[in-house]
Amino acid sequence: MADFESSVSARNRRRFWLVGFVAVMALAIVYAAPLFLDRYLVNVLIRALFLAVLAITVDLVWGFSGVLTFGQSAFFGIGAYACALLATHYGFGPLWFFGAFLIGLALAAVTAWLVGILSFYHGASPLYSSIITLALPIVLVQIIFAGGRFTGSSSGISGFPTYYWAVETWFVIAGTLLVAVACFAWLFVRSDLGRILIAIRENEDRCAYLGIPVSRIKIALFTVCGAIGAAAGFGYAAFTNVVAPELGGFLLGTESLIWVALGGRGTLIGPIFGAIGIDVTSSYLSGSLPFLWKFIVGVLFVIVIVVLPNGFASLVTGAWKKFGPGRRSPASGHEHGSGSIVLRTAPAGTREVTGDQSPIAIEGLGCRYGSLSVLADLSFQGRSGELLSIVGPNGAGKTTLMRCISNGQERTAGTVEIAGQEIARRSPERVVGLGVGRSFQNTSLFDSLTVGDCLRLSRYRVDGARLFRRTSHVSLPAPALGILKATGLDRHLDQETRYLSHGQKRGLELAMVLATEPKVLLLDEPTAGLTKAERTAIGEVLLSLTTTYGLCVILIEHDLDFVREISDRIVVLHQGRMVLDGSVEEVVSSDLVKSVYSGHGTEVAS
Amino acid sequence: MRNLTLVSGLALTLAFSIGANAQEGPIKIGIPVGLSGANSVVAPSVVQSSELAAEEINKAGGILGRQVELVVADDGSGAQGAQRAFDSLVYQEEVDALISMETSAARNAGLPIVNRSGTPYIYTSFYEGRSCSPNMFVDAWVPEQQVTPIVDQFMKELGAKTFYLIGSDYEFGRGMLEFTRQYIEESGGTVLGEEYLPMDASDWTPILSDVRSKGPDAIITSTAGGAPNVTLTKQMRNSGIDVPYGNLAVDEGTAASMGSDATGIYISQSYLTGIESEENKRFLAAMEEKFGSDLETPNDLSVPQYEAIYLYKAAVEKAGSTDKAAVIEALPQVSYTGPRGDIQMSVQHHTPLTMYLGQVQEDGSVEVIQRFENVDPGEQCPNL
Amino acid sequence: MPLLLDIVTTSAILFIVAAGLMIILGVMKLINFAHGAFLTVGGYSAYLVTDYGFSPWLTVPFAALVGFVLGIAVERLVVRPLYSRPLDAILATWGLGIVITQIIVFAFGRGVQFAESPMSGTLEVFATNYSAWRLVLVLVAVLLGLGLTALLYLTRFGLNARAVIMNEDLARGLGIDSTKVRITTFGLGAALACTAGALITPLLSVDPNMGLPWLVNSFMLVLVSGVAIPGLALASLLLGGAQVLVSTFVSPILGGITIVVFAAILLRIRPKGLFGG
Repeated sequence: MADFESSVSARNRRRFWLVGFVAVMALAIVYAAPLFLDRYLVNVLIRALFLAVLAITVDLVWGFSGVLTFGQSAFFGIGAYACALLATHYGFGPLWFFGAFLIGLALAAVTAWLVGILSFYHGASPLYSSIITLALPIVLVQIIFAGGRFTGSSSGISGFPTYYWAVETWFVIAGTLLVAVACFAWLFVRSDLGRILIAIRENEDRCAYLGIPVSRIKIALFTVCGAIGAAAGFGYAAFTNVVAPELGGFLLGTESLIWVALGGRGTLIGPIFGAIGIDVTSSYLSGSLPFLWKFIVGVLFVIVIVVLPNGFASLVTGAWKKFGPGRRSPASGHEHGSGSIVLRTAPAGTREVTGDQSPIAIEGLGCRYGSLSVLADLSFQGRSGELLSIVGPNGAGKTTLMRCISNGQERTAGTVEIAGQEIARRSPERVVGLGVGRSFQNTSLFDSLTVGDCLRLSRYRVDGARLFRRTSHVSLPAPALGILKATGLDRHLDQETRYLSHGQKRGLELAMVLATEPKVLLLDEPTAGLTKAERTAIGEVLLSLTTTYGLCVILIEHDLDFVREISDRIVVLHQGRMVLDGSVEEVVSSDLVKSVYSGHGTEVAS
Repeated sequence: MRNLTLVSGLALTLAFSIGANAQEGPIKIGIPVGLSGANSVVAPSVVQSSELAAEEINKAGGILGRQVELVVADDGSGAQGAQRAFDSLVYQEEVDALISMETSAARNAGLPIVNRSGTPYIYTSFYEGRSCSPNMFVDAWVPEQQVTPIVDQFMKELGAKTFYLIGSDYEFGRGMLEFTRQYIEESGGTVLGEEYLPMDASDWTPILSDVRSKGPDAIITSTAGGAPNVTLTKQMRNSGIDVPYGNLAVDEGTAASMGSDATGIYISQSYLTGIESEENKRFLAAMEEKFGSDLETPNDLSVPQYEAIYLYKAAVEKAGSTDKAAVIEALPQVSYTGPRGDIQMSVQHHTPLTMYLGQVQEDGSVEVIQRFENVDPGEQCPNL
Repeated sequence: MPLLLDIVTTSAILFIVAAGLMIILGVMKLINFAHGAFLTVGGYSAYLVTDYGFSPWLTVPFAALVGFVLGIAVERLVVRPLYSRPLDAILATWGLGIVITQIIVFAFGRGVQFAESPMSGTLEVFATNYSAWRLVLVLVAVLLGLGLTALLYLTRFGLNARAVIMNEDLARGLGIDSTKVRITTFGLGAALACTAGALITPLLSVDPNMGLPWLVNSFMLVLVSGVAIPGLALASLLLGGAQVLVSTFVSPILGGITIVVFAAILLRIRPKGLFGG
């Protein structure tokens, strides 16, 4: 971070000014509003403001990171009960009050952290995290029930000592909390780390293989959101002077999802208005038409989920894009040098390849699924500056081999050493840390991120990410820059990746993998679906990676002509076993290989 | 700035309240009630009896010449909903008084708002007792009045010595059963078990298994009204438990619609439709006439509500205005003779009542076994 | 002995209630959070049948019919656009549950209704008197399990459904109309849910929220089962048994979360459930 001043670009400054300006305006409204609104509305709004804070946390967890959470209400409940229980049973006063606040926050954060550890392990299905977040409020409510007299069970606790400040004061407290949380959330989602959240939502697996500690980021986010939810719950309880199990319940959890969905997930402002709008309206309609109102909300919710997945906010932004000022066509990224991001060369040699050590050494590797053995007793080494191709008919175990090298949890036998270090049971993001880069068969990237965003997030492992800022440059190692130049991507840094051609996507993906500064590069059919010219270009790139930069490249390829042209060495797999490990000539002339491939003649011919 | 607003606000309210008196606008009575949630079963009958009272009063010329207007708000039978309802009634509708049958949770949640605004509040639901506020009056029974007849009946007439108590885990459930346990033990009986389930629970199997294995002489339950009461009774009948069964939370109408499952249940109430008084006959006839086929059976919750509106009328007339403090001053001194007899909230804001011990018959009707005159509510709020 | 009966009957009830959810998840890979509302609809179907004076035994076929029709309508209107968005499908069906519940409130009011039971009282088994209806439900659960297995393995629909479960693209390539399989499955799942609703009414009250408490437990059981009929039976026995034991020996309140907690732990250890590959 030596060049700090230049990393804070004009764009960043503009954003800070904008957020600051909005915050001041919002606070002015918060201070002025109680003077103009009637007392009932102020009362109702205070509660709605606290709930809107909860909605923001739901939006961060669900809208931005893609974790469908039913359990955010549990943290709200923990905060609320911390307030009520301490005031009822232990004591009251400024210190007690503040202490209870901290206890509530800490308790919620610890709970969220534990839940995060339980549900965000590598390979957890999104459904599993939802199940845990669903279980959480149910468990919490039963604990409250089991508390009997202490927690007030179904009745909850009311009339505990609290600060009976004027409603105007409470309004300002709630409003300030909301504005603060919303502004920090805003800066956060626009920051480097915020982009990474979106990347995780769109393709979690890919993030892991770029060395991004997906689980840790999710757990940290969940923990912080838990604490914020508890702060909102604490304020809610202190103001209303009532807590009841429903504050921590599953129904409030689903209700908060409804606010966020209707307002527009992933927009921050949508959920805020969703929460306030729905809560205030239901307060007004609670006397006259409670059931009709619930019915309408239910119908709207279903319609929005089915036909308008991004909520009502998407109608507004859609109209803005169409008719508003400064509209941008999706292809506007073509304009060269819009200046939001600058590429730089990373200082070379952060990863010196030590001469005498093999970058990769595999010993006795095996992989079984139950009784099915996919790989057995595989041993070979890769050398620096070597291009090693792995061939074999379909089902030979080539892709499984890639998985076993890049994810320590896959193999069932043997060892894999990267530059002398055992990968042990490391998860993919930590294997990347040892120096393994892996590209995939399919080219699914992060559709809604730009080329520049993608490159920046692939540098997370090396350069980290800013919490509230957007850096204006990306430092890439020379080979990655070379690919970007060769494919012309360096001129399309502001373009969203979904508009790239297939070849460009391949190039970007390779550049991203190289950005993690691997020693060993695993490529799974990099030429699939490419034109002849692109194929040649990739071949040249690979050659330069090995010859100029000394990488060890391991390639899976069906195109045997391509393999013959560029490989230094070839390993032949058949039915999960290595049948040959030799030079190109040895393999080409081998009868054994011909017999392996017999019946697969079309592949040889391709 | 603040002070100025406050002062001008005060001046405005003053001007407004004086103006209102002069204009003879309607007297607004707020009725927060559980239209949804656990109380939704009984709430309609409470709303009906309130409507009858208001209509009768208005036909007879209102209170101090002003018409009565009812404002009903749903409290969702819980704390959160009650806060909204009370807030809305007190600050938005600016009612003159609150008169309502509610769950204990809803009452407790509403009380801070009542106290902050100084609004007279008549609570018309039987409850677990010992809830005290200078603004709140209660014209329904507390455990001291209701539990003793059932326990006495079981121990003295039916020879029960061992009891099992089952309740919903909320203040009413626990409050009632804690008093029951204490009274049973004072009377020389034993309580073999005392178990609670959350209000929304519907599976009583493990508790009923425990009952069967302990084999008590009698069971007393105190659940939330509606679903929990029904599921418990159904499952108890289905499990073949056949000992004397006292239910502290069932009303006549629910018992009738439960059919054969309710047969034999002992109940203890301050109101039964079969009370042979002029006032009750007149009341039932008027309800029948006003609501016809939509009539919800009047019960031990809707009748106190009806009487409370008349008690409020009497208090306003005694105070000579709807001034909140004056009405609160007058409320314990006035009395009204309604379907349940003479009602006066004279004992620490609570009411001495005539109680009836009844048993549900095959046809769903309730047969009165014994009548206890003017049972005292005991020491509920010694500080008031 | 009564403890054993409690365990067996509780498991049977859980199996019956969760079966509809499992069929839909198995074939359609879709979690139906309207399941609770479907159960409620079944309860009200039972109430209608007995309220019009028909035999309480007719409640079951009537509820099944109502459920099937409801399921087909829901699949067509709400579920079909969401096959590619499984998490959104959870939310949409949850919203649908709210809507159905409110419609029931409009139609029947908020109060508790009473459906007549086909049978009441107790039977004597193993020298104890035990709730007759709970014993009947054990029989029903066994028949249901056998019936569903037969449906999947002995009928044309079952063959098609299994093909769709294993590999939908391939199945479509083989000329199986997967749209039809899905709509039938959803109808069947909804029918099972409504039937279950009707079957549990003799033990419960009929009210607009009667199905809700069952939703989460069913969901957990289905996931733990690994979406297989024997798996569901085993999951019901294990977790239902655990629930009864915790309720009896620890606390009835904690018994209420036994299934959820055990399921969360089991799924952490075996993400694909007991019978999942």
